[in-house]
Amino acid sequence: MSGVRNATAAGHLPLRWLAGWTLPVALLVAMQLAAGQPGAPRYVVAPTDIAATTWELLASGELIRDAMASGMRSYSGFFMGAALGVAIGLLSAVWRPARAFFDPLVSTLYPVPKVALLPVIITWLGFGDVSKIALITLAVFFPTFINTLYGARATPVSLIWAARNMGAGGACVFRRVIFPAALPQIFTGLRSGLALSFIVLFAAEMVGSHDGLGDMVVRAEEAMRYDWMYAAILAIGLMGFVSDRILLAIRRRLLADKYPGEARHA
Amino acid sequence: MNASASTTAYLQARGVGKRFLRNGQAVTALEDFDLSIAEGEFVSIVGPSGCGKSTFLHMVGGFEPRTSGTISLAGRPVSEPGPDRGMLFQDYALFPWRTVLGNVAWSLEVQGLPKARRLEIARKYIAMVGLARFENAYPGELSGGMRQRVALARTLAYEPKMLLMDEPFGALDAQTRELMQEELTDIWQQDRRTVLFVTHDIEEAIYLSDRIIVFTARPGRIKADLRVELPRPRDASIRKSPEFMDYHARIWDMLRDEVLRARDAS
Amino acid sequence: MLEHSRAFARQLMAPLYPLAVLAAAWELLSRSGWVSPRLMPSIAKVGRAFMEGLANGDLVYHASISFTRALSGFGLAIVIGVLLGVFMARSRWFEWMVEPIFSFGYPVPKIALYPVFILLLGFGSPSKIALIALECTFPIAVNTYFGIRAVAPRLVWSARNMGAGNVRVFLRVLLPAALPAIMSGIRVALPLSMVVVIITEMIGDSTGLGYYIAYASASFMYAESYAGVIAVALIGFTLDRLLVALRNRVIFWEPDGAAQASRPSH
Repeated sequence: MSGVRNATAAGHLPLRWLAGWTLPVALLVAMQLAAGQPGAPRYVVAPTDIAATTWELLASGELIRDAMASGMRSYSGFFMGAALGVAIGLLSAVWRPARAFFDPLVSTLYPVPKVALLPVIITWLGFGDVSKIALITLAVFFPTFINTLYGARATPVSLIWAARNMGAGGACVFRRVIFPAALPQIFTGLRSGLALSFIVLFAAEMVGSHDGLGDMVVRAEEAMRYDWMYAAILAIGLMGFVSDRILLAIRRRLLADKYPGEARHA
Repeated sequence: MNASASTTAYLQARGVGKRFLRNGQAVTALEDFDLSIAEGEFVSIVGPSGCGKSTFLHMVGGFEPRTSGTISLAGRPVSEPGPDRGMLFQDYALFPWRTVLGNVAWSLEVQGLPKARRLEIARKYIAMVGLARFENAYPGELSGGMRQRVALARTLAYEPKMLLMDEPFGALDAQTRELMQEELTDIWQQDRRTVLFVTHDIEEAIYLSDRIIVFTARPGRIKADLRVELPRPRDASIRKSPEFMDYHARIWDMLRDEVLRARDAS
Repeated sequence: MLEHSRAFARQLMAPLYPLAVLAAAWELLSRSGWVSPRLMPSIAKVGRAFMEGLANGDLVYHASISFTRALSGFGLAIVIGVLLGVFMARSRWFEWMVEPIFSFGYPVPKIALYPVFILLLGFGSPSKIALIALECTFPIAVNTYFGIRAVAPRLVWSARNMGAGNVRVFLRVLLPAALPAIMSGIRVALPLSMVVVIITEMIGDSTGLGYYIAYASASFMYAESYAGVIAVALIGFTLDRLLVALRNRVIFWEPDGAAQASRPSH
């Protein structure tokens, strides 16, 4: 039955694409029609208004400024957390003492929301960029570490044996066998970390910040300028989405031809 | 039923034992095991599952430690993996992130040969296994039989003193397996390297080998050690000869008891 | 039997080592005076604050509120997520219309929508529970969808071969076969529920552990704040362990596995 499905699915590509837009378009139309009607709540804003406001904000540079502030924080935190996670993950994969320390620590604390430390970190490091970047780094470390560790440890033994068989020493085996073998799983961890970095960023900005997109959402909402609010939310969503696509593109370039079947994973 | 060891032993195993713990129980895989192989001999080991034949092969390769005894190659004791004993794995152990050419040339990179020389040698062996057209393909794109040929080319490329083969054709379908056996014999015929070959398949052992060792069920001991006096070079027709059938009947008789014993023991 | 309980005990003890090291480091920093001892109270002080919080009911009150919200949202997400996943897997149209929302929505931080939820549902629990449900539905729906699609057609064919009709095939083959994937999605969703509940309580409310931590911090009652963090950690950790135990009972045919890649053997 699934065979029949697949055969026809390909031929229906444009229809499929259209179907994908049904729900979002329906929502937008509903909002457009409902906005401004007597009795409609103030926060139902016409998409046309939102678009207009977005354009204004772009033109005035405000949106860019806040987006850059947010982006700087989340990307810094992501890169640092990911670098630490991958480095320590790889170290733990080959060095038992590191593994004995980090693996149980990360596994145990994994289900604990690092955002709980937000007030603590703000107290230590203030309301500015540093505290946010620190928290993001911490949060991103967890999934990148775990995925790197497991990916490296899951290297098929026969590959390592084959390499040693061919005269490769420890460092060589690590660099040229374990690391490449772990790469797909490392990317899984990076993707999780990326999504997490945005969640933590906007949480931090909504709780306490002078600028940034999260702060913009809160300010707009307090000022009851809901069109602004939606514009900021849209910017946030777009940022997360585009970042993910870029990461996927990088992954595709590095991995796709070499690992058949790596192509599409949600 | 003694192997004529008139030539000085090239590979010598003496008193080799392997004991380990599984689920808290002591398991003896091999006990006080002796084996001599002369240079240029093609020796197969057949035995029931779990009899320790693969374990022994891994010990010769240096991938698993011995609990007792010594193994030496050309007079030198052996306990670590190295390019003097080239190993062919059942799952091919090819690096999925490198092309056929990249895989075959890998050992040469480790040796530090200049690029031109590496490519020259690699291409020679790729041609020898008949895959010249596929040198830029990735293992993921190849069939099982082709992958094993790449693995063979890779192992031959660093010209090991002896070859260890761990059920290399076990994962292939019967037809491909037969063809691969013929190819292997043809290639082996060219330089008559010493080979230690582990397999389940009696016919495969008879076709390929000069000498067959039959293992008992665990703990593995030598039940029989017989010469295969079939003429060389061998081709497909020899499988139907009465001598071949006779060997098959004799070996299966010996093996069947052990297989039953292994089955009842588990 | 003894081996089994020894291994279990070792697993339990494993996280104690790194936690003890961290605790020691904390204590050292706290006493050294490098960091203001008010910001970094000794472990004893935090412990006392924790106990007091338990004794006077504060901690328990807020913890139970957070706990209830998280679990409600989480439970809702399971129901909605599994239903959505099932429909996506079974109906082509539904899949075309709904799946893009999941793949596009995955990297979008849904907490950006929290202000909208507040407008819709007010400041109290409902908006939080709704957001938690939204965030958690994603991994559950996606995993359910992939899990059902990935059920080996052979299993379905077998069942039909034995005379099972559509409903029976669905309930007794597809669902159980997809259960590991579904549970995997549920396990990913659990920490998300904790993250969202804490964030939403920090942003605007007067109940719940998120509020407790933020308020204590803002009131310079740092020991109490840390106690709150510990409470969150305990809840998160316990819930995760409960989920693992549940998973192992429900999916009894598959041995204990981590939510991420399987633990390697070497």
